[in-house]
Amino acid sequence: MISNDTAMTAHLLRRAGFGASREELEQYMAMGYDGAVEALLNPSDAGNMPDDLIRRYHVEQSELRDLAGSAAYWMYRMISTSAPMEEKTALFWHGLFATGYAKLNQARSLLNQVEMFRRSGLGSFEDLLVELSKDPAMIVWLDNNENHGTAINENYGRELLELFSMGIGNYTEDDIKECARAFTGWTLGNAEYMSIRAAKDSIWPYGRIAWHFDYREEDHDDGEKTFLGETGRFNGEDIIRIIVKQESTARFVATRLFQFFAADEISEAGEKTIQDMMATYFSSGYQVRDMLRTLFQSDYFKSEEARFARVKGPVEMVVGAIRMAGNYQNPALGIEKVSNTMLYMGQGLLQPPTVEGWHEGSEWIDSGALVERVNFAAKELSDVRSPGVRSIIDRLQAGSDDGVLDPEDLADGCLDLLGPIGVSDETRSVLVEYATRKGDLDLNGHQPGDEAEQRVGNMLRLVAATREYQLA
Amino acid sequence: MTSNKREKSLIVIQLSGGNDYLNTVVPYSDGKYYDSRSVVNIPQDKVIKIDDRLGFNPSMGPVKSLWNEGKVAVINGIGYENPNRSHFRSMDIWHTAEPDTIGKEGWLGRAIRDIDPQGDNVLTGINFGRGLPRALAVPGVSVASVGDLETYGLFPDVQDEELRMFTLEAFSRMYGNTAGRDPVMELLGRTGQDALQGADILRTAPAMYSSSVEYGPDSLAQNVKAISQVFHANLGARVLYTQHGPFDTHSGELASHAKLWDEVAGSIGCLMDDLKEHGTEDDATILVFSEFGRRIKDNGSGSDHGSGGVAFMIGGAVSGGMYGEYPSLAEAEQIEGDLRSNNDFRSVYTEILEDWLDLDAPSIVNGQFEKHGILKS
Amino acid sequence: MSTQTKSPGIALDYVKTIGIVNNGFNGRGFANPYDIVVDGDKRIFILNRCDPARADAIRVGICTLDDEYLGEFGKGNGTGDGQFIWAVAMALDSQNRLHITDEHSNRVTSYSLSGDYLSHWGKAGSGDGELNGPAGIAFDSSDNVFVVDQHNSRVQKFTVDGKFIANWGSFGSGDGQFNLPWGAAVDNYDNVYVADWRNDRIQKFDNDGEFLAALGSSGDGEGQFMRPTSVAVDPEGFIYVADWGNERVQVLGPDGSFQLILKGEATTSKWGEEYLASNPEEKAERDISNLIPALPAHLNTPYHISSQTEPYFWGPVSVSLDHEGRLYVVETNRHRFQVYQKR
Repeated sequence: MISNDTAMTAHLLRRAGFGASREELEQYMAMGYDGAVEALLNPSDAGNMPDDLIRRYHVEQSELRDLAGSAAYWMYRMISTSAPMEEKTALFWHGLFATGYAKLNQARSLLNQVEMFRRSGLGSFEDLLVELSKDPAMIVWLDNNENHGTAINENYGRELLELFSMGIGNYTEDDIKECARAFTGWTLGNAEYMSIRAAKDSIWPYGRIAWHFDYREEDHDDGEKTFLGETGRFNGEDIIRIIVKQESTARFVATRLFQFFAADEISEAGEKTIQDMMATYFSSGYQVRDMLRTLFQSDYFKSEEARFARVKGPVEMVVGAIRMAGNYQNPALGIEKVSNTMLYMGQGLLQPPTVEGWHEGSEWIDSGALVERVNFAAKELSDVRSPGVRSIIDRLQAGSDDGVLDPEDLADGCLDLLGPIGVSDETRSVLVEYATRKGDLDLNGHQPGDEAEQRVGNMLRLVAATREYQLA
Repeated sequence: MTSNKREKSLIVIQLSGGNDYLNTVVPYSDGKYYDSRSVVNIPQDKVIKIDDRLGFNPSMGPVKSLWNEGKVAVINGIGYENPNRSHFRSMDIWHTAEPDTIGKEGWLGRAIRDIDPQGDNVLTGINFGRGLPRALAVPGVSVASVGDLETYGLFPDVQDEELRMFTLEAFSRMYGNTAGRDPVMELLGRTGQDALQGADILRTAPAMYSSSVEYGPDSLAQNVKAISQVFHANLGARVLYTQHGPFDTHSGELASHAKLWDEVAGSIGCLMDDLKEHGTEDDATILVFSEFGRRIKDNGSGSDHGSGGVAFMIGGAVSGGMYGEYPSLAEAEQIEGDLRSNNDFRSVYTEILEDWLDLDAPSIVNGQFEKHGILKS
Repeated sequence: MSTQTKSPGIALDYVKTIGIVNNGFNGRGFANPYDIVVDGDKRIFILNRCDPARADAIRVGICTLDDEYLGEFGKGNGTGDGQFIWAVAMALDSQNRLHITDEHSNRVTSYSLSGDYLSHWGKAGSGDGELNGPAGIAFDSSDNVFVVDQHNSRVQKFTVDGKFIANWGSFGSGDGQFNLPWGAAVDNYDNVYVADWRNDRIQKFDNDGEFLAALGSSGDGEGQFMRPTSVAVDPEGFIYVADWGNERVQVLGPDGSFQLILKGEATTSKWGEEYLASNPEEKAERDISNLIPALPAHLNTPYHISSQTEPYFWGPVSVSLDHEGRLYVVETNRHRFQVYQKR
């Protein structure tokens, strides 16, 4: 019997995390919904796979010379974390402030940016924008190292307003110029050397040299500026202070948070929730954590309408399946292939195609990606040797009538323990019919890898292949 | 599908990493070449001479044979203005035909969309390898990425044939009813059906194929063999794409570059033999390109990213010969130590799109470009 | 700069840096080097662990102190004869054969110095003589070999052909216990030293495994370690430790007392100069850059500092000595080794 509590908590964990095994779900359910929301919004003690172990075995994740090892490092974090909002928040901001490896050729600095999202991603949006403006990966990505007092480069100034806050229509071209002026001098140490190395993808002589922020006062235009109607000798922080006061910024942040954590499409009810989040934005002093609390506690979020209202991104798909199966708990060869799999599905970690990020929602789905998605999840969840799958087998047995499951029990049980996942009647009937082929399943005395266990694996495979499994 | 005159197909072999132009088409009679490439050079007596100025890399025997038959067009000094020396960015430029802004649609993705606007044939464009290259990517256009033709499709890891069949059948039924559902479920349904259909059809290709040609064991040869199998299965595949590498030979170049070209030339030779055997030499044209060439001066062990490279078009319908100009090695002509390109890659794209695939080129390559006249009219 | 306090009994002068990153192909340069061995003819053998993307290039490179790259050998990535998956450490026996541990394949492979594969031994397991993650390896004066068996938390002693002799150790932090131990060394008295990695210390045993001493504790101060990976002992008994987690090398006296710390001071190698000579714009910018910059507060761990400061050790995985008082520090993240000369 799928209780509404279980379904609701599972829904929360799909959004504030990468889904949850039944064990994890039970831990959160014990806290009650409010307790679970607070625990998730205040991530601590993430218990990540330790860096020393990772770097001992994975030289590529120690050095981070190339992309593959770097994406894999983040994967270990996402797979092993017991504070999933830390990683989900980082992933959210990574998709929004999309900074890509392609132009930087500097993975250590990209991961440092991600670390900054973990550190500051749930706090004040104002502080976050300041940190972002000082982030050397962002500086190089949007050419702010070419933004000089004597000759401005508008790239960062423009995108800060267009893509990272208010959005088009809420400022003028002049505002862009003044904004750019205010950020002159915000560069990185050894900017020219780092920049030529980035452009040439130079790893010589001794591998990569990571980046750090440097403020060149002599390059900063500290003259008077007029931005969004206010005048002063603004530096970057002043511009950001003005930006975050704007309603358009509130709407932007609320909308993006909504689309990532609640639903791909915004209905009328969703719109009302966004407005509530905007109110929280102001009343809390631009705190992202508070806005998310408003969201997770909203009637909309708790309603049926919000269930399965998002298409899982490739990262969620892959990490979710791995976590459910309980794999990659220790450093192991092959993790880099897994991070490539997400790339084949259309979402390469640390390599968004442009500063606009990925096109999410239903745009994740094309025939190539769908084949990769289904194949990955199906393979991961059908392996009866994985700890997570073994746990599912044990629970099925424990929850059964004397260890025997009829076809409906098997189908419903798998749907429950992998979620619970809500499926259409048609989908469910296919699953039941599939199970009926071999009749009742007797799990008594099952041995590792025997036919009884394989039947569970086969059912899990089919559930992972459903359309509904593609949704979060 | 049953007409005798089959539609033309484009086969693309991308050389990933920046193929060293100077050691591919070697200016062996130019003293400046040996001056700059004091270590990383091809000796005069090893070059496969084309004429008294230029020769092919010694590993390119099969290409030379095809050259002798007049089927190889060498496009010298190909590139674009303001060369970019970053792998990702430069390859993106080649893939999207957009040197100046960030392009979002692949040129071949657009071509596939124009060939089959309704998406009637999910196999119009196929990538051989995993992960769709940007060149083929356009939202809404279905392109399969076939890692291994023999096992391509859903649930490849299910060994038991019967189990796999039942699982696929269940999948098909689950994704079957699409009408009247919400748009996302509908999209999933349609996409799943496309994938199944594509896989079903593709899987028949190896069985229908028979040939006396023996392809090599390397990954490129296997991909090119798969291309041949699918091409000859007459499934309506018009664009078949694959890649090989890594050509990023910053050190130990001579040995690595030789091995890579051994594989590339070998694969091309086998493919052309295969086309000849099937009588389809005039129905396929091969494009070989890389995202940039490499620097004029070597670094003691290899060469670093440069600009201005070489591309090839090979096939029965190609007018063999030298196109473009071989860039000068004189210092005054260099761009920061690199070769200066003298023709835009979009010219080659334009010719392929217009004269081979019968499409409107300017809308795909974002402009008008003069053709070289490589394809026989 | 060598940091000297309390008039140490040892001084080490920086000599040079040899290396350049090799993108995985053949030819001069290194790809995540993990260990070094110097033979009697002063040839330097470097074990390249290689990252998975270029695992086929796993090999041993050979060079001289004069930056001559003599060649390389290996059979690439895999479990076949002479192949490696996760190669860790090397040691030379009295017959000039090179023995290399593989912590993934659980075996020891031997090669001649001219690059011919000879044999391999080792089987996965926890019984006597079986291996689970062999890491450090060192020979004593009788050509017995000590292999650090990391996941079995012990050190095992074999004949040169891999016949089991003895073993000692268990998991823990007490005397004679280990926690993911890594490197090993043997001194002039045939005592055995082990870099007890996760216990942040070096342990010393006699040739039969009797515990003699535990040196160091967790931390970044003098005489403290953070995940030491390798240890070497010179004829006078000075103990050199690759203090990997602190991105430094520490030297202790024969009595275990703290002597000095090296942070690394790499200069551009000859191969590096060759690269820069063909890339003058890059060289011009490099020449006016500050390669030891001041860093913001949040990038304050040794790992982060070294990732930004090219001359410092980054990933100093192994320390080795030759017979002329030279110390070789292998840095896996910088694809080079720095050479110091004992005064």
